[in-house]
Amino acid sequence: MTARTETIQGERRSALRQIWEAGPYAWNQALITPVFLVPFFLVAATVPLVTQYFVDNYGWTGGEFWVRIAATCAMYAALALALNLAVGYAGLLNLGFIAFFGIGSYTYALVASDQLHVHLALAPALLVVVLVTMFFALLVAAPSLRLRGDYLAIVTLAFGLIMRELTLDLDRPPVLVGHQFGPTGLNLTGGTEGVHLVDPLRLPDAFPLIHGAALQSRTYYWIFLGLTALFAYFLLRWRASRTGRAWMALREDEIAARVMGVNSYRYRLMAFTASAVMAGVVGMVDAAYIHNAFPGNYDIQQTVLVFIMVILGGLASIPGAIFGAVIVTVLPFILQPLVLYKYLIFAVILIALMIFRPQGLMGTVSMRPRRALGGTLELFTERVEPEEQEVGAEAASTAEVEAASGAIVAPPQRE
Amino acid sequence: MDYFLQNFPQQLINGLETGSLYALVALGYTLVYGILQMLNFAHGDVYMVGAFLATGVAVLFVHGSVAALPAAVVVVLMVLAAMGGSGLLGIAIERVAYRPLRDSNRLAPLITAIGVSLLLESVVQVRISPGTVLVPTNALVPQVVAHIGSVATPVIALVLMALAVLLMVGLDLFVFRTRFGAAMRATAQDREAASFMGIDVNRVIVVTFLLGSALAGFGGVLEGLRFSTVDFFMGYLIGIKAFTAAVIGGIGNVRGAMVGGFLLGVLESLGGGFVSTAFQDTFAFMALILVLLLRPQGLFGERPVERA
Repeated sequence: MTARTETIQGERRSALRQIWEAGPYAWNQALITPVFLVPFFLVAATVPLVTQYFVDNYGWTGGEFWVRIAATCAMYAALALALNLAVGYAGLLNLGFIAFFGIGSYTYALVASDQLHVHLALAPALLVVVLVTMFFALLVAAPSLRLRGDYLAIVTLAFGLIMRELTLDLDRPPVLVGHQFGPTGLNLTGGTEGVHLVDPLRLPDAFPLIHGAALQSRTYYWIFLGLTALFAYFLLRWRASRTGRAWMALREDEIAARVMGVNSYRYRLMAFTASAVMAGVVGMVDAAYIHNAFPGNYDIQQTVLVFIMVILGGLASIPGAIFGAVIVTVLPFILQPLVLYKYLIFAVILIALMIFRPQGLMGTVSMRPRRALGGTLELFTERVEPEEQEVGAEAASTAEVEAASGAIVAPPQRE
Repeated sequence: MDYFLQNFPQQLINGLETGSLYALVALGYTLVYGILQMLNFAHGDVYMVGAFLATGVAVLFVHGSVAALPAAVVVVLMVLAAMGGSGLLGIAIERVAYRPLRDSNRLAPLITAIGVSLLLESVVQVRISPGTVLVPTNALVPQVVAHIGSVATPVIALVLMALAVLLMVGLDLFVFRTRFGAAMRATAQDREAASFMGIDVNRVIVVTFLLGSALAGFGGVLEGLRFSTVDFFMGYLIGIKAFTAAVIGGIGNVRGAMVGGFLLGVLESLGGGFVSTAFQDTFAFMALILVLLLRPQGLFGERPVERA
């Protein structure tokens, strides 16, 4: 993009200024380069050390508080990235998203607490969490993904509700047709109390900076940040792969994608399950962090909150999701007097964003139809500046190339 | 078996009473889906707002903080306020949140619908009450229990069920017998072709939202009068159940939604009564999954044609 703009304009401009003028799509492109992402995560990792410095040298009392907020930010960033995989990449509206986070939490709580008197080490616990969330994701997605997209939304919404009911009801053995399943006194979820005294993560002693000491907020901040970085890496790698292109093609136009030979069911199942398992792993770390699995943490509002993060940042945008997570998490702490109106304000933001700027801050997915291109309304649309369109075939968006050639092509490489 | 036979009529009547509520709300989903092919997630919350409007009227006029009116007048006022208020709210939601996105992809209106749902819930939660609000039903309707054989049920529940059925019959007549109903059905079949035939599509959509939301508002009154409490979260569960009912009947099909509502109510009541009370809500979900697996177009729906 840079090179092209220069040749058209015939004048030299600084790279930064070009990025600024190229708009959000270019910002997103600039922010997902390793040149930016790697230093970003390294700098973010120093946050607890910086707060510690101020606590030690200036007697600042808010250090621990803000490290906890940073940990929450990092947790939501990881969740937002996981949701972005389903919603942003594959266009799957998973309204029971937080239930998978909850399943991860409860599963870890059950295999690492006195609830069932099981205390697994980290690796087996992680394996159990991954398998259990995968099982539930397949359970929900396998029947509903065969159908049109709208049904997935309602099935997942209902699933979220059912999981909440189950966590509340399974503090006693279930009774069906007068027959009791399981021994009397069986208490899986702790009902409204939740599961308490969950083990902290058992990290190997060789880990730097935490050796010996009990796990602190900052350790969890680093773990969440690590998960965020890992998920961002996954998403970036997938984006350029055949799988990622299949997801995006399905999101834009399912029928066209199927005509091109994309197995819509398989790819959607993959996206949904991967997203759910990612959420489950975050849920596991969260249960270890707050030492409990409490039903109130997995309400529908939590799902909407993560949705707002993703949409505010821009669907399918990785820096956008991280940015959205930080804003939505930190804003209520800054606007303390308005904290009562938190959800009200977020709801208004969500509606206004969808109407006035559906692609979010740095989105790469436009919600606007493009009637000019054939009959399909939902095309892969990137923001293309008018001046670039004059360049001709070279500047054509992926969708236009796809429409013309009939093949799913890789997005043009932009430096 | 004896236990089953003894309790079956009672569970059946309970199921039909709940089912009338599901059917009323399901109609709103099915009407909007039929015409716009979108899920109006905020519909359950329109129902909740209707219930709150009715409760507000009841509290104002029963305890006489404004004026003490006879109970019958208050009930009529409650119904008018709930149906009118919900209907207008439905129109406003369509105008503000859905119309600007009518031509965008399917995801966008679904997301605004979630936003509207959250907005309505939090407005009521913050401005009115974060907990349950009592409806002064004792002063409004006679608390008489009717005994028919082994079945015992409050008279008011039967009356409300009858009213709900009347409303549904009225809607059915409107959709299938009037000129405007024909316009609605034409719009549902093909919006563009309908507009070529001289149908004011926007007006049809507005009336659809008005009707669906007004029915939901009546449902709100019904629940308030029967259970004596309302809360800001009440629309969530009913919304999912009613949607399930609409899917069972075949989404987009008006008569299907009514039948689906009653079926779901009975199914839940029987499941709760004879299988497990704790998992009563789970039955609706399982019914939804089963219907989606075995007959995705619902009992009365036509198999949808996928169009590019």
